[in-house]
Amino acid sequence: MVVAAHPEAVAAGLNTLKKGGTAVDAAVATAFALNAAEPFASGIGGGGFMVIFLAKEKKVTVINFREKAPAKATPTMYWDKGKIQETWRKSHGLAVGVPGSLAGCAYALEKYGTLKLENVLEPAIQIAERGIPVSDTFSQINKDEYEKILQNDGESSVYLHDGFPYEPGDIYRNPDLANTFKRLISHGWRDFYDGEIAGEIIKAVQRNGGIMKHEDLAQYSPIEQPPLKGTYKDYTLYTIQPPGSGGLHIIQLLNIIAFWPVGEWDFNSIEYIHHLSEAFRFVFADKVRYLSDPDFIPVPVEHLLSKDYAKQIATKIVPGHLQKSYPYGVFDKQLIEKENTTHLGVIDNQGNIVSLTQSINDFFGSGIVPEGEGFLLNNEMADFSPQPDMANSPGPNKRPVSSMGPLILFKGESPFLVLGSPGGTRIFTSLTQIILNIIEFGMSLDEAIEAPRFFTYSSEGVAKGLFVESRIPTHILRSLEKIGHTVNVRGAYDKYFGGAQGILIDRYKNILIGGADSRRDGAGEGY
Amino acid sequence: MMCLMILISIVTLFSFAEKTAEALPRFEQPILITSAGQSADVQIGGVLAKRAGLIATLSKNATHQGLGDKKTLVLVIGVSMKGLGAAGLDLDQEKTRVRGLIEEAQRKGIPLLCFHLGGEARRGELSDQMIEACLPYAQMVIVVKSGNKDGLFTQICTQKNIPLLEVDKIADAQKPLKDIFPQNR
Repeated sequence: MVVAAHPEAVAAGLNTLKKGGTAVDAAVATAFALNAAEPFASGIGGGGFMVIFLAKEKKVTVINFREKAPAKATPTMYWDKGKIQETWRKSHGLAVGVPGSLAGCAYALEKYGTLKLENVLEPAIQIAERGIPVSDTFSQINKDEYEKILQNDGESSVYLHDGFPYEPGDIYRNPDLANTFKRLISHGWRDFYDGEIAGEIIKAVQRNGGIMKHEDLAQYSPIEQPPLKGTYKDYTLYTIQPPGSGGLHIIQLLNIIAFWPVGEWDFNSIEYIHHLSEAFRFVFADKVRYLSDPDFIPVPVEHLLSKDYAKQIATKIVPGHLQKSYPYGVFDKQLIEKENTTHLGVIDNQGNIVSLTQSINDFFGSGIVPEGEGFLLNNEMADFSPQPDMANSPGPNKRPVSSMGPLILFKGESPFLVLGSPGGTRIFTSLTQIILNIIEFGMSLDEAIEAPRFFTYSSEGVAKGLFVESRIPTHILRSLEKIGHTVNVRGAYDKYFGGAQGILIDRYKNILIGGADSRRDGAGEGY
Repeated sequence: MMCLMILISIVTLFSFAEKTAEALPRFEQPILITSAGQSADVQIGGVLAKRAGLIATLSKNATHQGLGDKKTLVLVIGVSMKGLGAAGLDLDQEKTRVRGLIEEAQRKGIPLLCFHLGGEARRGELSDQMIEACLPYAQMVIVVKSGNKDGLFTQICTQKNIPLLEVDKIADAQKPLKDIFPQNR
C-alpha cells in the first residue's frame, strides 16, 4: 500500500511495489514522483527525513536528509542596518539550504532498496513529460505564491502558465525537470552535488544573493541514525531525532496526555481542547528553548521525554482557566504560518515500512529555479531563528530545526500505524490529535484524519490564539473563550492544519487501511 | 405567447450588468493598481496591465496619497491573511486603507475599476466582505468566471448598474483591458 499527497505519486509507488520493489524502492519512487506531481511542496531541491522498518531484521532506522546551512552561514546573516531582512530568509539566495533529498533517497536506495535509480525515476520522468491537470489546491497555492515566482523565476517560469498562475484544469508539464532526472540517470546522482547540475544550483543561488559554494554541495551527506522512541499505553512510537522536532514533541505531548483521563472526555470537548491546548503551549516553549541541531548544541532529549517532566507539566494544567505564563522562549512568529511539506507512507508485502516526510519549506520554496533544471530550490534556512543567540540560530553547516514528524506506531511488538503530515509547526499537534482520535476515541483512520483539528502555541511565555477548524461546534468555541482562549476560526478542512497520510495495519482482519487527507490532494492505494 | 416567452428569455440571458466589449466604458491612464485584501492577485493585475501596454503604477499598499496624478484607480480584490501579515496589516486596517482610496478617488473624480482574478478559490467570508465594500463604487468590474459562480458580482453590479465583464481565464482579461484603456491622446 502507498499513501501520498497526489494520486500520480501513489501510482508510481504502487507500480514499483507490483514490479517487485521493496517499500524503500517504492518510497523513493513516490518521493521523486511527488517532485513532478506536487512540485510546490517538495523535491530534489529540498530535504526531509525517513523512518524505515525492516521486517526481517525487526529493526527501525532513520535517514536524516535535512538541508544544511552553507559553510559561510553566520548567526547574524539575516540582519542588516539593525533589522531582520525577512525577504533574505524567504525568497532570496540566502534562504537556500544545501539540498539533501536526492542524497537521502540515493542512500536509502543503495543501502535498503533493490532497484536502480533509473527504475525509481522513470515514473517521475513520465509525469513531468506527460503533465498533470492542475488541481484546485495547486492553483490556489500557485496564486498565493505568484509574486515570489514572478520575482525569482520570471514570467517564463515553468511554474506559471504563460506568465499567470495555473488555473484548475490547466496542464502543468515540466520538461526541464524530466531532463534533469534523465541526466541523473545518465551521469549519476552525484552530478547534482558536484557536476553540471551543481554548477547551475550555485549560479542560481549566488545570482540571487546567496553564499552557497560548490564545496557546500560536494560535501553534503545524509545521516543514518537510530530512531527516537516513546511510549503511550501499550503503543510504542518510533520517529526522527533532532533537528527534527515533530516526533520528539509528539512523544512529549503523549507523555503529558497520559496523565489525564482522555478516554472519559468527549471528542473535541471543552476539557479535551483546553487541556491539549495548554500542553501545546508548554511544548512550544520547550521547542524554542531546547531544539537545535545536536551536532552543534546538545538537545536534552532524555529530559524532554522523561515521564517525570511530563507529569510536572500535566499537573500545572488545570481545567477552567489558562496558565498565567509558560516557560519562556522567543518563538519565531514567521514559522507559525506555514502549511507546506508533504508526507508519504509505504508498506510492502514483506511488511517493510517507510514513513517519509520531505519539503522545500514554504510552498514553491525560495521561488528560485536553477536555469534549465526545472526544480525549485528550498528556503529551508527560514527554519532557523533569525535571532543570533538562540539554540536554533544559523551557523556553518548546521541543520535547521524541523517540525516534521514521520512516525511508525507499534502496538505491542507489531507495526500498527504509519503516519505523517505536512503543515509546518502544526505537524506535531495535528499528528498527536490523529493518534488520540484512533487510540482514545476509536475512530477509523479516515475518520481520525478528517476529524476537525485545532492548534495553539506560546511565545515569550504568553499564550497565543487558539486556531480551530470551523466544524468544531460554536458552543464549544464560546465556552473556550469564556475560560480565556482567544479563538480564531479557519476553514472547515483547512490545509493550515496539515495534510496527513497514513496506513493502519489491522492484524485481526489481516488488511491494510489507507488514509489520505482531503485538506490536500491526498490519495492511497493498495493491493 | 411563444414570442413573448422567447423575448423574456433573451432579456434574461443578456442580463443588464454583463456587457459586450463594445458596450464597455472607457478609462484613462495613468493608472494606480493596488490590492484590496493583500492577496498576491494584485501582481496578476500588474502583469495584465503591462501586457496591455498600459501606463500603470503597482503599489500593494498604496494610500489615498498615492493617487496623485492618476486617472484611474484599479483595485484587485482578494483577502489573504498571509498577505496581510506580510504587509503588517490586519483586516480592519486594510479596509480603512481601501476606503480611504475609494473616498479620495470619488473626491477627485477618478473612476474605479475592480478586478477579481483569483477565481472561486479567492472567495470566502473575508474576500466577500471586501467585494461588498468595494464593488458598489466601481465604474466597471472584471471577474474570472469561476469567482462569480454564485452570482454575487452579478447581483451587486445589477443593483448598482455597473458594467460587469466575466472572463473564463485570467489571460482573457488582456484584450478587454486594451479596449477599455484607449492609448493616451
